[in-house]
Amino acid sequence: MLAILAALLYLCCSQRLKGAFSTGMNILVCVKQVPDSADTISVSEDSSRIMYNDGTVFRLNRYDEFALEEALLVKECFPGSRVDAISVGPERVRQAVRKALETGADHGIHVRVESDEYVSPLTRASLIAGFARTRGYDLILTGIMAEDDMECQVGQILAEKLSFACATSVMFQEISGDEKTIYVEREIEGGVRECITLAMPALLTIQSGINTPRYPSLSNVMRARSQEIEVADPQPADSLSMERSIIGLGYPKDAGTGEFLEGTPSDKARELLGILHELSMI
Amino acid sequence: MKRSFNIIALHCDGKILPETYELFNFVRDMGGETITFIILGSEPHVLMMARELAEKTGTDVICATSKYLENYYAQGYRDVLKGLVSTTDPCFICIPHTASGYDFAPLLAAALNIPCITAIEDIQDSLFIRSMFGGRIRAQARPSAPSAVLTVQPGAWEGSADYSGPGGTVRILPVDIPPGKTVIHGFKKSLSHDVGFCDAEVIVSAGRGIGSEQNVTLIKRLAALFPRSAIGATRAVCDLGWLGYRHQIGITGNTVSPRLYIACGISGAVQHISGMKNSRIIVAINTDRHAAIFRTATYCIVEDIKTFIPLVLEEYSRRSGNPVNGSS
Repeated sequence: MLAILAALLYLCCSQRLKGAFSTGMNILVCVKQVPDSADTISVSEDSSRIMYNDGTVFRLNRYDEFALEEALLVKECFPGSRVDAISVGPERVRQAVRKALETGADHGIHVRVESDEYVSPLTRASLIAGFARTRGYDLILTGIMAEDDMECQVGQILAEKLSFACATSVMFQEISGDEKTIYVEREIEGGVRECITLAMPALLTIQSGINTPRYPSLSNVMRARSQEIEVADPQPADSLSMERSIIGLGYPKDAGTGEFLEGTPSDKARELLGILHELSMI
Repeated sequence: MKRSFNIIALHCDGKILPETYELFNFVRDMGGETITFIILGSEPHVLMMARELAEKTGTDVICATSKYLENYYAQGYRDVLKGLVSTTDPCFICIPHTASGYDFAPLLAAALNIPCITAIEDIQDSLFIRSMFGGRIRAQARPSAPSAVLTVQPGAWEGSADYSGPGGTVRILPVDIPPGKTVIHGFKKSLSHDVGFCDAEVIVSAGRGIGSEQNVTLIKRLAALFPRSAIGATRAVCDLGWLGYRHQIGITGNTVSPRLYIACGISGAVQHISGMKNSRIIVAINTDRHAAIFRTATYCIVEDIKTFIPLVLEEYSRRSGNPVNGSS
């Protein structure tokens, strides 16, 4: 009897199982699918959109992988938690949702957008907000930015639309025992972290390096294979939600002033050493 | 159409961040005439900073003060600025794209229900230019509404204020904000600067393009050719665990300016470039001829570091007659 009490006491106090008596967290992770490499993309002739080719391989945005892992770590701390993964886009993004399920998410949502064009952060956030508003999430996590559009906006706008507290560039998080607040360290310039406590529910955008994303386990892969992905049809909440300010795409014009070394690899190696010698570097 | 420009001044430790002055030049580049700085903080420090801004730029400053604004916090900045910035007339709200700037800029835009364009690095033909896909694609942006929030990439404009005329006015505006639900605990240094960047004349840096952790050895061997050298890395390489975070160069890591910077397998995302672009000579080695790093480099070498660095080492030992040592 004493041993059981001691064990329970330990469970309550331990960091890993802080929420031993909680009913768990309801967590949403927003993931984006991005092309694996910029080598396989081009700009359409009318400069309006990115074109993918047959060689384009898509994968999860790396920052979102860190966000997903962080969500799974929270779930492990708070038994009874549930992790939903949501993605906005055309049919192909179902792959990204599936990948999240394989990695350990419990439920997947695909917010359908018919065409494979640029979707602005405001539109993306509005679509996610339209879905998330009624689902009672305690915590929403996403990457600090998408590797393709690099806008750093969706998380913050989503937080504003849902009236969640928000912190970006998060490198550490810890939910309080009473589940009312969350302590966060955000990375700012020059290797400094800003330490703050936010009220829950909260939205965090996750910086890379916060954790080590896990690989999908065989059992999760098997489970995800037959699992249904919920389809949500877009319900933009307001007039501005279909806005876009990006009006044209192209390639950088300025080639730079650098000098390309030419010839065989050995020629280049010799020339480089010649240059370094002239600069008295070696 | 007359448009007003509000520049949100950011500060840290009682000092105005240089990016604030860069924004002043950005706005002047856009032909901005009606310019107002807005600075938020607690007395007395914020008053001194407000006066400095007014003197150095000849521009009027609104100085919003509250004891709760001593340190930056997103919700406080959003609430105060939402009240101060009237968007009944067309206006651009300009904010540095720093860790604080991009933290609250989209919140403010969403609260005001106006568009937000982030990380602007150039203006061409009255359009804002920003990078996508790690610098491989250049996007042109024009706000879809008369008013917008803009964030500007640090370092994209000069930060020096060359103004010497009469100073602008400072309007002090005590703001009544509730304490807010955010508790600010302060700052924490998470990076140790002990990899010798300060003393290094040469920095050899590794990007994801080096291919694998084993190839870090090649980077170390190349660095060992130089008597005062250090090893740098992109954030991606540190995230992969190939090198420790103390090696990281870029916005969230170290900023360096050695005599020689050799970028190996680095694509040249703006986050990395801003940490090393002031290096005197930049040599870039990358397999992709279109990599963004080549736009910053002095010497560009389109080769794979796995085969190219061994050639350089071989050639070096042939010239000097010394075998190249493996470790540094």
